[in-house]
Amino acid sequence: MTTTRADTTLATPMLEVENLEQRFPLRSGIIDRLTFKGGRPRLVDSVVHAVNGVSFSIAKGEVLALVGESGCGKSTVAKSIARIYTPSGGRIRIDGEEVGGYGHRQMLPVRAKMQMIFQDPFASLNPRQKVRDIVAEPLREQLEARGEGNAKARAREAALALLERVGLNAEHATRYPHQFSGGQRQRIGIARALSVNPGLIIADEPVSALDVSIQAQILNLMMDLRDEFGLAYLFISHDLSVVNHIADRIGVMYLGFLVETAPRDRLFSAPRHPYTRALLSAAPTIDPADKAVEMELEGEVPSALALPSGCCFRTRCPFAFDRCTAERPRLQDVGDGQSVACHLVDEPERDRP
Amino acid sequence: MDHQSATAPLLDVRDLRTWFHTFSGTVKAVDGVSFTLAPGEVMGLVGESGGGKSVVGFSLLGLIDPPGRIEGGEILLDGEDIARASEERLRRIRGREIAMIFQDPMTSLNPVKTVGAQMDEMLRLHTDLDEGARKARCVAMLESVGISRAAERLRAYPHQFSGGMRQRVVIAIALLASPRLIVADEPTTALDVTIQSQILKLMRKRIAETGAAMILVTHDLAVVSEMVDKIVVLYCGRVVETGPAREVIANPSHPYTRGLVDSIPNPKHRKPRLAQIPGAVPDIRNLPSGCSFRPRCPRAQARCAEVSPALAPTRGTLSAACHFPILEEVAAAMATTGGERA
Repeated sequence: MTTTRADTTLATPMLEVENLEQRFPLRSGIIDRLTFKGGRPRLVDSVVHAVNGVSFSIAKGEVLALVGESGCGKSTVAKSIARIYTPSGGRIRIDGEEVGGYGHRQMLPVRAKMQMIFQDPFASLNPRQKVRDIVAEPLREQLEARGEGNAKARAREAALALLERVGLNAEHATRYPHQFSGGQRQRIGIARALSVNPGLIIADEPVSALDVSIQAQILNLMMDLRDEFGLAYLFISHDLSVVNHIADRIGVMYLGFLVETAPRDRLFSAPRHPYTRALLSAAPTIDPADKAVEMELEGEVPSALALPSGCCFRTRCPFAFDRCTAERPRLQDVGDGQSVACHLVDEPERDRP
Repeated sequence: MDHQSATAPLLDVRDLRTWFHTFSGTVKAVDGVSFTLAPGEVMGLVGESGGGKSVVGFSLLGLIDPPGRIEGGEILLDGEDIARASEERLRRIRGREIAMIFQDPMTSLNPVKTVGAQMDEMLRLHTDLDEGARKARCVAMLESVGISRAAERLRAYPHQFSGGMRQRVVIAIALLASPRLIVADEPTTALDVTIQSQILKLMRKRIAETGAAMILVTHDLAVVSEMVDKIVVLYCGRVVETGPAREVIANPSHPYTRGLVDSIPNPKHRKPRLAQIPGAVPDIRNLPSGCSFRPRCPRAQARCAEVSPALAPTRGTLSAACHFPILEEVAAAMATTGGERA
């Protein structure tokens, strides 16, 4: 079953995220929270603003990649959608169903539509479970919840077929995770995610822990599976060359904000946001002769405990002007499917160093 | 950096073998590695995990702990074999002659000493400078790696710096005693890409200024191709290919290097599927007969199972350990765009 982009444009998106916010209170000790402001002792609560009003959608069969540096909130977005975290604000609709406020039990049927693959294949598999049971578990849970009989045997049978599909074989079914290499473990994680036949897979840095030759194997497998099952991916990565290979559309995050989103080729050929441009300039390439260094960034990412006023990027932006401090730029459509959150869009004459 | 083939090498590693004697068998992590490095030359030591690249780096500094041992071979630093040097002698070499930059700047700095104290220690051990001169040198060095308010920052502890700043401190410490060789083991792997480009640029600039030679140990071919003059590719503890960086990446002659380069997604030549090397790196305690790469190699023939290939010139400036090297320049991904640009 394959889905082309044309027949899905009118259908419900596989995933819609609207104004997603995720804050984490830092519950440190009373001494840490104590400050003396204006001569009076006060207890201050500090809050990490991990995700600040992020919106995007993914059509069925589409691959959206979120890129950014550590601490930009891309993994937090993934985990909020997978409802590992409870979002602090905003809406999450999976196949049209609003799940942002769902509890554990209500989420169970939703998980048949959405599964997650994790970065570290060494930490994400239960070391005391046989591979067969790891892969069968999500389907078994679903079958049991629907009250269907013989869930265990059916799930195990399906698991064997899935192991075969991801490039392992039936002999591997009764082994334990420690008997596999990193790449094989990631295949096990993928088989487990596929067991419930989901429409959406959230993949959080799925190839970052792998050697480059193994990385290519896993990326190829993920693309084959997308064509075969019509999967949509939310692909989280810091590696621009991987993203360029796999994504249909790309969102760039910085300090918990989505600063730019565009179709892949558009983003790489005509990036608009200064951060996107700096990121593309900084990425090392195996072909340095082809590299055009447009700009280099000074300094580092500010703390998510105290967001800068106005634009999140203004502290490092070579183009920043007074409006950037005063007003937070909103993501606005600049045509060709590209949206940018930057005041330069309104005042293009300032776009020169 | 110019290659002066006439100059005597600064470092001459000959048939280095570093083995680990574990309960489950002998791990020949480095098994017969040879290379030379001229003064001021920057070399990349690349390969996948398990290739032995870090163990080579640690061997150069005499940092192999039991059950590991340098079983054989020579590490000639200016003609002196430091593979057999006493611990006393090695202590004098480390820091002054050869400095090391590790991957994780948090664990390579002492968390309970100020940055100033750690820098001062290096100078106290390796120079005769008095206290005032040492401090001045530390301040100048911190400034040269891009840390502002350096005099003040000397009193700060490592946790008060961000990851990128900590790696700058580590680089400053490594450069303090003006070593002739710097071994950098994945120096930017833990850093974000915009910070990575800052650090690489800094290292390139400072190393060119001091005239030190450097060995950059990394799995990242993109980083290597931006930084180094020459590349040594390791697989299962052996050198499989070596040559000038541009040539090794644009037109490798060993099938393993070819596979490695092709499996990196290249935005300029996007294909629906990435080229992949089948299988996985074999268990190093139980290597296949003959060539270690044979089970994954598309060019393997009967002879590869019988005789382990030796490193020999293959094409142009390249040498590879392969019975059936790629002799023609493959018009694949890189070849079409690689090479020069004004």
